[in-house]
Amino acid sequence: MAVQMLLVINKSGGLIYHRSLDAESDKGLNSNDYLILASILHGSFAIASQLTPKALQLSQSAAQNIDFTVPYIPYVGMPRGRRGGQDKNRSNSSLNSSQGKLGSFKGDDFFKDAFQSWNRSGVRQLCTDQFTMYIYQTMTGLKFVTVSSQGALSASHTGGSSNMHSVHVADNFLRKIYCLYSDYVMKDPFYSLEMPIKSTLFDQKVKQMMENLA
Amino acid sequence: MSMSTPSKSLKVIGDDTWKNKTEKVNAELFTLTYGAIVSQLCADYDRDFQKVNNQLYSMGYNIGVRLIEDFLARTALPRCENMVKTSEMISKCAFKIFLNMSPQVANWSPEKDTFSLILDENPLSDFVELPMDAMKQLWYSNVLSGVLKGSLEMVQLDCDVWFVSDVLKGDPQTELRIKLNKVLKDEIPIGED
Repeated sequence: MAVQMLLVINKSGGLIYHRSLDAESDKGLNSNDYLILASILHGSFAIASQLTPKALQLSQSAAQNIDFTVPYIPYVGMPRGRRGGQDKNRSNSSLNSSQGKLGSFKGDDFFKDAFQSWNRSGVRQLCTDQFTMYIYQTMTGLKFVTVSSQGALSASHTGGSSNMHSVHVADNFLRKIYCLYSDYVMKDPFYSLEMPIKSTLFDQKVKQMMENLA
Repeated sequence: MSMSTPSKSLKVIGDDTWKNKTEKVNAELFTLTYGAIVSQLCADYDRDFQKVNNQLYSMGYNIGVRLIEDFLARTALPRCENMVKTSEMISKCAFKIFLNMSPQVANWSPEKDTFSLILDENPLSDFVELPMDAMKQLWYSNVLSGVLKGSLEMVQLDCDVWFVSDVLKGDPQTELRIKLNKVLKDEIPIGED
């Protein structure tokens, strides 16, 4: 999964953060357009959760059988040097250990367990032949949206399971962005809640993580 | 509602998150910083301890509305279906991760909407003795009630939180009371059901 763009939408549907990896993809839209796009996403997310297939409405058991567990996928978006015991010269890397530190998170990855998705009836994925969009919503109503350059429609003939896999990769990635948000945005004393994010530290970390995935 | 029971108990999740996934600092630094804040507030408000209590509460509230994001990002735990679950989550996970302690849950009301946290050890009040004039009024750790109020509100639980007793005031134990007023159903994010 190569990530092109990341949006963060607050719980009232306003865009608070937007970042594209290459300036090329920003050409068509100005910042106002992105604001509108975010609000439309917020609205269609709400509408989609109201439109449930009849079968799921009728049968509680069918609805209960849906598995919302997201498996842990190792080192999504982490620097390659960290992966799989390549850290032989740990003492040697102590010089850049402050660079490699994950804020207030300990270890070489933010989390290492499967987790439950909070988003149960809203949009999780939007596929087109040009790109795929993934949405991760938190319990506080914050939405993290990412746009991946690979059109999943062309790849979807390989089977449904690989499609679910890409959703899981995206959820893993977006939860890490949420971890960054909880560190670098929530702990910034000059940030006011619900307002656009101006933090350069957050911006750097996000960019780094997006590049690691590319 | 498809709430597959988590394979690990909350205690195990809390212990593991605290031990392996959270950076540590010396607790004394934390205790002393908090002490400096409270003593400065007492001076600034001319020893009007009611105002100090309110100020600590609102500072806590502002911390709580932000801290909840850290807690959720770190644990990604599912929504609690009732207050009993919420109380376990607070004592076994939240207090463990941020303060490395697990208060006892006690004194449930018959409707199961009000409970107390008994703080056997309170890292905020190590090294503290209240001056005579503060004994009656000041709730030294009142920032904690604000934090709980703010963070619970962000997960749509409208609660009242207050201190009932404090060892610093000569009581046998420190007791923090939490009462659920209402679950703000309208504000639960769309997409969870």
